Amino acid sequence: MKNVTNDLPKTVEALKKLLPAEDILTFEFLTEKGLTFTVVFADPITDKELLGEQVVRALRRFDGPPTAEEVGKHIASPEMKREKSLEKLAAEVLAGNPVLLWEGMDEGVVAGTKKVFTRAISEPSTDVAVKGPREGFIEDVKTNTSLVRRRFKTGELRIEMVEVGRRSKTFVAVCYLEGTSKAEAVEEVKRKLGEIEIDIVPDASYLTHFLSSRPYSLVKQVGTTEKPDIFCAKIAEGRVGLIVDGSPIALTVPYLLIEDFQSSEDYFVPPYRATFTRLLRLFALIVAIYLPAFYVAGQLFKLQLFPVKLLLTIAGSIRDIPFSPSLEMLLVLLVLEVLNEASIRMPKYVGMALSVVGALVLGETAVSAGFVSTPAIIIIAFSGIGLYAVPNLIEQTSVLRLAMLLVAGSVGTYGIILVTGFVLFYLVTTENFGTPLLAPFSPMIGRDLRDSVFKYNLGSLPTRPRTLKSPNKRRLK
Amino acid sequence: MKFRNFIKTVPMKLYILLAIIVLFAFFSNDFGLVDIQKTAIILAAAIDKTENGYSLTAQIAVPKGSDRTTGGTSSVEIEAEGATVSDCVTRIYSKTGWVPKFVFCNLILLGEDAAEEDVMRSLNYFLRNEYMPDSCLLAVSEGKAGEMLSSQSALDDASSLAITKLFSDAAVKSGKVLPTTLREFSIGCFGVSESSHLPFIRSATQKGEQSGAGGSGGGNTGEEEQKIYSAEETAIFSRGKMVALLPREQTFAYSLLLGKVFSGTFTAKDGEEPVTLTVLENKGGVSLKFEPAPVVKLSLNLLVRLCCRGTSAPIDDVVSDHVPDNVLENAESVLSGYISDLFATVKQSGSDLFFLKRTLYRSSLKKYALWKDSFLPSLRADITAEVKTKK
Amino acid sequence: MNKISSRQLYFFLACVAPVGKLVYLPSLLVSSAKNDLLFPAALQYLVQAGAIFCVLLLAKRGMNFFELLENTFGRIAASILIGIFSLFLFYSALLPLLEQKLFVQSAFYDTLPSLVAFSPFFLFAVYLCAKPLSSMGRVWDIIAPLAIAGYIGIMLLSVGTADFGALRPVGAAGGSGFWKGTMSAMSWFFDAALLLPLLGKFQYKKGMAAKGALAYLLGGAAVIFFLATFYGIFAELSQNQLFAFTKTSKYFAGITVLGRIDYLFIFTLALVMAFYCALPIQAGIDCIVQAAGPKKYLRPALGIVLCALYFALTDLLDYRFTEVVRAISGTVVWIFPVFCLLVPVLCLLLRRRRREIS
Repeated sequence: MKNVTNDLPKTVEALKKLLPAEDILTFEFLTEKGLTFTVVFADPITDKELLGEQVVRALRRFDGPPTAEEVGKHIASPEMKREKSLEKLAAEVLAGNPVLLWEGMDEGVVAGTKKVFTRAISEPSTDVAVKGPREGFIEDVKTNTSLVRRRFKTGELRIEMVEVGRRSKTFVAVCYLEGTSKAEAVEEVKRKLGEIEIDIVPDASYLTHFLSSRPYSLVKQVGTTEKPDIFCAKIAEGRVGLIVDGSPIALTVPYLLIEDFQSSEDYFVPPYRATFTRLLRLFALIVAIYLPAFYVAGQLFKLQLFPVKLLLTIAGSIRDIPFSPSLEMLLVLLVLEVLNEASIRMPKYVGMALSVVGALVLGETAVSAGFVSTPAIIIIAFSGIGLYAVPNLIEQTSVLRLAMLLVAGSVGTYGIILVTGFVLFYLVTTENFGTPLLAPFSPMIGRDLRDSVFKYNLGSLPTRPRTLKSPNKRRLK
Repeated sequence: MKFRNFIKTVPMKLYILLAIIVLFAFFSNDFGLVDIQKTAIILAAAIDKTENGYSLTAQIAVPKGSDRTTGGTSSVEIEAEGATVSDCVTRIYSKTGWVPKFVFCNLILLGEDAAEEDVMRSLNYFLRNEYMPDSCLLAVSEGKAGEMLSSQSALDDASSLAITKLFSDAAVKSGKVLPTTLREFSIGCFGVSESSHLPFIRSATQKGEQSGAGGSGGGNTGEEEQKIYSAEETAIFSRGKMVALLPREQTFAYSLLLGKVFSGTFTAKDGEEPVTLTVLENKGGVSLKFEPAPVVKLSLNLLVRLCCRGTSAPIDDVVSDHVPDNVLENAESVLSGYISDLFATVKQSGSDLFFLKRTLYRSSLKKYALWKDSFLPSLRADITAEVKTKK
Repeated sequence: MNKISSRQLYFFLACVAPVGKLVYLPSLLVSSAKNDLLFPAALQYLVQAGAIFCVLLLAKRGMNFFELLENTFGRIAASILIGIFSLFLFYSALLPLLEQKLFVQSAFYDTLPSLVAFSPFFLFAVYLCAKPLSSMGRVWDIIAPLAIAGYIGIMLLSVGTADFGALRPVGAAGGSGFWKGTMSAMSWFFDAALLLPLLGKFQYKKGMAAKGALAYLLGGAAVIFFLATFYGIFAELSQNQLFAFTKTSKYFAGITVLGRIDYLFIFTLALVMAFYCALPIQAGIDCIVQAAGPKKYLRPALGIVLCALYFALTDLLDYRFTEVVRAISGTVVWIFPVFCLLVPVLCLLLRRRRREIS
């Protein structure tokens, strides 16, 4: 049996067959006129209070003809819908929406009374802004889309729901501005989402793999944000946004590498300050990646990289260290990575103890014991801090730093130069959704450079980034 | 199908292989590698002539331990002899077990004996060496250079540091020192003038208690002979050999002719009393003319102010830095005398310190071909010194 | 990514191509032309700019190099001709590679390193060779500003030391010195030949040929200014300064305090040079691919074979650099004008209209 029939027991039995789980419950109630209704619902995710109020109490006095249309009129739920297919009804039950069946029905009625578990909207811990909105996305797609909708009071904002995941049937909201986002990009996003063959989508990060043109890429190809203001700004520039149910991280495509050097705060401070901080971020990242490598290469292959007095200080510090400079740096780097990993996962109340162990025991004592030298600790500490100047790129840059260190310890400075060349070539040849990752630097797009490492005044940015090929070019009239 | 699958996985396999090679290289870390722990960082070198060749004294920086609480540089001097400088370097390596690296060598001292023969014989090692910076300073030392480099400075941790401080920018502006780098010296020697100059270092003994921190060769305490150094004289070279020594006045005059002096002082006379003047503006010029005999015009144009009188003076005089006319006249004659002596010394030595051949070569190839061998011996000097005071 | 933009091409001609002329060429020019080193270089630039003008005019026809040849000579003859041309490109890559190797040994190490130190370059080259030549356009977008920054940095630190009077008297080397200098420099000027495989990968725009030649001359002006500064600093010692651009900046007064900050600029230029040195190999492979048609593994396979060969050659010729230079820039130097000047001019005579191929 594929569809509901007017035989209530058979229909309920068929539906129960599709939903054999123990937490799928049924209950019956009678109207004053003696008509029996059966409600099938998923116990943990159905709001029973709302069900009682909007459905059961409303139907007690039902005395019309027993058609779905009439029943629907009596239900006070705005998300009510009618459905014939048993499979679809089963899916609704699993989504938390109770299904109403009765004797002599032509269609089942779905009451939209699912229980929504949401936490309060709060500032995301990974994207804190001193100035600017403090709202962050939460795990509920509806709430998240409402945060977006609130910022676009225009019919041009399209939020299309797509289901992804054979078993999880996760809702993914595809958000874009019609006429502003490139239609081909929207279509490609929908096509790629449609082609995903995965059983469950626990988080938005699962989708990035499918949205990337180079799935094994060294660098990410999908933008991520936890802040609705940034999400909306990106959509307004002509990007396509994806909000995944169950994930507080929203995705945006096409992604440009420069996005991660920009912060929402840059738009709330004067342009010269924003330019300065962006340059600072770039500088910090470059130093973080290269400093340990050059430090090792300098000691092993090219002493002239250090001024003579600094060299003598370093030579004095490492005199009694049992490891080679490269091995020493690798060990300190690994300790930093372990501390980093542990401090993220560790319960907060032991965090303080970890800091003490990390800073005092491992740092100070290791230096006093002569395992590692003071300059190595300073270099790694600076590098560790520098990496967090661009937090969204941590995963990539920490791997790059390690690669640079390994090459510096084996080939020296020339190895660093060649790996830089390799990475540059890799970056310039990476594109996603027809947009080069390294734009507006390569290909160089002069106008887009105004909001790249440099930040011009908003008045000097009348057009949307050319890189995104938006059909609606102007944003300032 | 199998082959296609194999081909598909080739890039990944290559990347893994590459990673293994890099890791192997990283952990084995030895492809004839000379890292910081195997290196002797040479701060300065001294070259002396010996019976069988050369003696090279290298001042090697000795890093202090990580527990050090005081600043400074410790150093140790290692000496080796050989037929060539390269031989000496090799012997230093075999003596110490550390690979001598000259990348930080900032001073090469030549002993008097070495300077009196063709110095390019000893310096060509450094010119050929890709890993030797030719920006290092070059100087001639009184007596044995090795002894001077090994001596204990009264003012600094290492003698080389004390000597290089003599060549600071401020010292150059005083006009008392004419530092020369290996590159500048070599350009002079290999150029058409085949002449150059180097500062001549003398040391004077000063008895004193040595402090515990630093010090050449370790931290000895007790009474030790300490040296202070001066570089006011200048050795001039022709065809690579030291041919004369300019005393301090002539060094100053040469600096003035080169226009390098600012705030340098010299002493003239007001009657019988000495008066020291400070140079505020220094325009110097050396030009060559053929009238038809070759004449070198050595001209000075100075703006000076009064710096100090050798007698007590009333307060009205102290607040004024105006130089009286009679002092200016005397200053002109003093400077003319210096320049005249300088010219005489240079002419007598056969050196082309004023690079007149080069000037002639650059101005006209024809004239150069005509005069290059004959004009220096018959050269006459036309000296003018004009000294003005601040209005 | 399939097309190179005109801007990217100008960037290559003005900023990337000159970097290859800053290493060994200056001292080589001094050894024959002495203080007149600027004139052979200037002549080479003028002649090469003319050849580049011709190559860029060819772009009007909208065909790649192989199609141009095929259109006139037919497929088989065109395949042979392009094969010969790619052999020339592989040959022209040898000198920059050897030069680069010695430069790396000198600038990146304090003591003579082992032979493996330069071998990673060949891995890098294989990676570049495996990718289409047109992707270099975007690389030029990135490395051209780096080349400018590196050049300006080095010049700022160097110019103050130079005594430009050392360049006088003009004509000291005489006609023979000038001629010798011109001939010996020839093997460093093959940029027009590098552009031929790029045909079809960029679209001709109005005035492109003139702008391209002008961009090349602009790069030439930068090289000539560097040569003047180089000779101004080293004068009689110039001949001995083998890796010119690593040497000129170390006399800057601030270096004694800050350490070798000039290495920042030297390393930047070294990065640009790594791309430049691999370009003739990439271009040669591209010629073969044009003739053979797009075959998936042809580029990486050729890249691996060629780079292995170059690795062996650079190893073999390690201490024979001077002899190699003497041979390439002496006895058989005529190869360069034939392929870099004559071929571009002769290509203008090829059939203009596209022939119908049945």
